[in-house]
Parts: sequence; C-alpha cells; structure tokens
Amino acid sequence: MSARALRLLALGVWPVLLAAQQPAQAQPPQPPRDTTPPEAYYGVTEYQQARAKLEALMQPHGFTVYIVADMEGLAAVVRNATEMRPEARGGHDPTHEAFRRELAAEVNAAIAGARAAGATQFVVNEGHGGTLFRNIHPEDLDPEAILIRGYPKPNVMETGLNPKVDAMFIIGAHANARTPGIISHSYAFDSFTVNGHVLNEAGIAAFIGGEMGVPMALAAGDNVLTAETREMLGDLETVTTKIAESRSAAAVFPPAVVQRQIRAAAARAVRRVRLGQIKPLRLERPYHVAFCTRATFQPWVPEATANLKGVQRMAGDSTGRCFAYETDAAEDVGNLLNEIEWIVLKP
Amino acid sequence: MPRCAVIAVLLLAPCVALRAQSPSYTPPHLPPPHGFRVFIVPDMEGMGSAVDIHEVIAGNEGEQYKTLTSPDYWDHFRGLLTREVNATIAGARLAGARSFVVNEGHGGNLFANLLPWDLDTGAILVRGFPKPLIMVTGIDSTVGTLMFTGAHAGPGHPGILAHNFAFDTFTVNGKSLNEVGINALIASEYGVAVSLVSGDDAEIAETREILGAGFIGIITKYAVGRMAAITFSPAHIRRMLHDSAAVAVRRAMRGGFKPFRLDKPYHVAFALRRSYPASVVAGLDSLNWSGLAKTGERSYSLTTDDARQMGFLLDAIERVVLH
Repeated sequence: MSARALRLLALGVWPVLLAAQQPAQAQPPQPPRDTTPPEAYYGVTEYQQARAKLEALMQPHGFTVYIVADMEGLAAVVRNATEMRPEARGGHDPTHEAFRRELAAEVNAAIAGARAAGATQFVVNEGHGGTLFRNIHPEDLDPEAILIRGYPKPNVMETGLNPKVDAMFIIGAHANARTPGIISHSYAFDSFTVNGHVLNEAGIAAFIGGEMGVPMALAAGDNVLTAETREMLGDLETVTTKIAESRSAAAVFPPAVVQRQIRAAAARAVRRVRLGQIKPLRLERPYHVAFCTRATFQPWVPEATANLKGVQRMAGDSTGRCFAYETDAAEDVGNLLNEIEWIVLKP
Repeated sequence: MPRCAVIAVLLLAPCVALRAQSPSYTPPHLPPPHGFRVFIVPDMEGMGSAVDIHEVIAGNEGEQYKTLTSPDYWDHFRGLLTREVNATIAGARLAGARSFVVNEGHGGNLFANLLPWDLDTGAILVRGFPKPLIMVTGIDSTVGTLMFTGAHAGPGHPGILAHNFAFDTFTVNGKSLNEVGINALIASEYGVAVSLVSGDDAEIAETREILGAGFIGIITKYAVGRMAAITFSPAHIRRMLHDSAAVAVRRAMRGGFKPFRLDKPYHVAFALRRSYPASVVAGLDSLNWSGLAKTGERSYSLTTDDARQMGFLLDAIERVVLH
C-alpha cells in the first residue's frame, strides 16, 4: 500500500521536475484512468461468499486463531522502497526474500504459541499489499494453517473472517498514518475514525471482528504501533519488535528474540481470551465513519472515492479528499476499504 | 521379412491416415509401458497455493506476456509444481502403476515448467511446444488412466485464472467443455478415462457437470476472486494428491472409470477470446484448416468424427496465439 503511495508521490513530482527543466512546455496530459466501478470485478465485493467458503472449511469445535500477516512491523524492517518490494515491483533487494521468510517465521511463532495454549485451528490472511498479498512462501508456513493469498480479495485484511473465529492476531503491523512509526500508514488514508475513535489498520480489523464477537488479542509491531493499539483497543497482548527513530530508522531487536516473544505472547493471548480478559471491540450503531484519503495521491483517487456507493463528501471540508460514510454493519466498512484499495492498487 | 513389413504397414497405417488429415501431426514414439501406465497432465493455475498470473508465467511466451511475469515467483512455483507431480506419481506407484508419462499442460515458458532434474526418475516427461495434441500429446491406447492436476475453470466462471485455451466459448454437440473436458474427449478416442482431477472449487464443480461424478476430484483451494483464494499448505496438497492417486489407480485397474463419450460426429463450435487482437483472428483464418467454417466475427465451427482433430486444431491455434 505504502509502496504504491511512494510511487504515486514520485509520479506527482515528475511533472514538476519536467516543468522546471522545460518551462516553455505545457504540463503533460495525465494518462486516462480506468474508473470502472469495483462491482464489475469478481473478488472485490463478494465478501459474504468468501466468508461462507471459509466458514464451511472450519472445524466446528476447538479454538481458532485468525492471523493478519502484514510486513512493515516485522523485526528489523525499516525501509519500504527495497525491503518491502519484490523484483517485479522494482525492489531489487535480496533482503526482500529474507523478510518474506521472517514473516513466515513470526507467523509460525504465533501459531506455535497459540497451539501450546490450546488453539486448534489457524487461518492466516496475507495483509501486505507490496506484492499484492502474496508474501509468505506457502511451504514455509505451518502446514496446518489455512492461507488466504492473492488480490483482489474481499475485505482485504479481513477476508473470510467469521464468528467461528475465537481470536485475531496481527503480526508485522505498522503504526497509523501521520505517526512517527516505521513506514507508518493506514490503507489509503491520512485519517480514519469510526464514531470519533481513531483506528489504525489493527483497529479497523478489531472493529470488523468485534461486531462478530472476535477480539483482537495480539498485535506485534514497532513501539508506536503497540502503544497506539493499546490506546485504541485496551489491554491486549503486544510485542514490540523495534523502537522507531524515524519513519525509516529504528533500533531493532534480533529476529530470534522477537519470534520467541511472539510465541510467548500468543500463548498468553489465547489463555486470556479463554478467560474473557480480552474483549471484542464494540462500537455503537450506526457507525459514523469519517476518513480523508492521502494528500499525496493523485486527484483521481478522491474523485473515484466520491463516486462509491454511500460515500458523502464531508461537510465543511476544503481539501476535497475527506468523506463520511454511515452504516449499521462493520463488514460494509471492510468492503468500502476494499473498494478504495481497488481504486489505488488496481493492477 | 515380409511379415515384418506387413506389421510395419499395419502400424503405420493409422499414422498415414492422420497425416493426410492434418500435416502437422507427427505420431509420438514413446517407449511401450512395462506395467500399468499413468498419464499425468500438470497445469499450474489450479495447483496448490497459486493465485496470481505472475506466479505461472515466465514472460518469454510472447509480447503480451512480458509484463505478466515475476521470475522470482514463477521460479518458486515450478518447484512446487514438480513436487505435486512427484507426489501424484508416488501415490500411483504405491497402488501398482509402473509407467508414468507426464505431459506439460501449462503454456508457461512454452510448456516447460517442471524441473526435469527434480522430477521422479520413473517418469517420461513431454515438454516444449508446439506439440500435436497439446495437453494430451503422447496419449495412446497403452495408457491405463489419465490424471489432470492443477486444472482451472473455464472463462466466465469464478475460478482462479479461469480460461479455456484461446476461447471465450467452446462447445461440442452444444455441451460446453473446459480444458479437462476437451482432453477427456480426445482421450476417449483411445478408450482412456479420466480418473483424477485437481483444481480449485470452481474447476471441480464445473468438471463434474461435464464428465459426471465418476472421477476423483481434489479441491486444492477455494477461490475468493479471480486472483485470490483460501489455500492449504503444499504438504497438505501433496498428501491429498498422493493418497487420491493411489485410490484412482486401484479403481482404474478394475475398470472403475468410463471414458467420456459424446455422440459422433462431433459438432465443435468455438469463439476466440474477445481480448485477442485481430491478428489472431486473421492468423486462424489464414490456416485454411480443412473443415473449419467461420460462423461469425470470431466464431468457428468444425464437424468431425475424430476428437483428435480438435487437438490438432488447438495446437495450430496455440501456435498462432503464442507466435
């Protein structure tokens, strides 16, 4: 997601540079943008079908953990342009492969810890868009886990989430947009609130899960992420993987140490959910969602967003990129995110 | 001496007849099997874990594929594909099969995706392009049973990377066939039946509608979009392939699967993909394929008594597309 943002930013800078070099020339025309509504694309809006398919696959008994696997918050990650990007998307850094394996290692640590505490089933949903949600090498993942991968997929980071899930974890999570965390961002937004509560990506996942009675029990990421997520969701388990010094520098803990901590925290998280000590996030209906798309995006992003069903321009907003949305169903919010992702990430 | 000549003539006669119908056909010369022969057609779109076109395209297949590859991903999936085929062979061997022909069914790298040095040493591998019957090149009546792994659904279906050769629609006698269906019909000319198909949930459901419920279907993943799926670990997929292949061979040895039959003559009708440039249509028109009639801007029909004619035509069309 943020990889795309940087590229968009770079695209935005080009005309300026060109204009500086050749002041006589007019600004080059923008390439035409396909604004086909996302409804026309299978896989963007069929979230109920994805949910039904996953639900049917799940065991009726036992304890299921649903893990959102992001990457920016992994141990040792600091730089988006190289470490988070594969060759085909301009990364050209062999470390990217190492971080794909680190992602699998941290997710496996969470699974191992949860299993030790009695969890019986594991669903892992790819949550990092840098490679269009295909980061974990499938054979690196714990062989008992179900892996949801690829893009576009309904409800992006919460594909298939359903009430049979007992607890959610988020691994490799990053801090909210406009915070000093490593590669901090939130979907396509500069700000995102529900009923006035500020939510980061972990918070949005907790909100969608919360309505189904699924608590967010563990978040692993840098110190900014863990602090802000505790503030949003209360006393969940957290693992601080690194101390951010800027958006692209951090004091990092050794991956092996981080994995050990995740394993221990995952076990505690499962035990505490079973004891009812970690509760689902519940907000009052109707949900008043307010958000602003990133200022760095090209103008077609807010333009296309304004055309989405149910989205209203925010009253009194002078920037033209702030919107309001009201609904009684948290999954609708997930689907809205999905449609905005599609506008931004459309391959 | 004269007896040998008679036998040679008898053996060559069908080949000569086919040559007359289609100059592109060269009969395969596979060594005869010692024991029960399994013919495996591995495709990639329906294999375990694969969801995105970048994972199944090498980028060297033609101009339009250059930007659709990600070598770091494709390379990785070649390894997984090879291990899937090995698991299938191992299961079949356990049940008593003794000969294995693996025919590359996926066009990536022009039908050369498997890693030959990693493939089970008991297998004969048919790789490269063009090849006369494309996905069932090398099949004949010595084959005991036919298996499709990693198959995908036809176009317009909600399956991973759903498509059907170069077509938007393909029907025989009015019945819509996907790739497995087309090849099952060709195989039936040799009396060979399909025993096992693996693919996503959309592909298995679709193939059951075409072939009936007789074959063993393995759902490798549940599609939640054209390029996203609920997937299982490669080890789990290999175990399913291994165990199912063993069951399939045992049942096939008892004659438990029936070849896919449709009434002859076959009335074949198809439409080239709308997304293809006009040059592909012109290329197909310029083949002057015997018996092929143009019925619309991109639609054609062919009536034949021999399903293999479909295979030869598919090869010719693939050559136009991948030119």
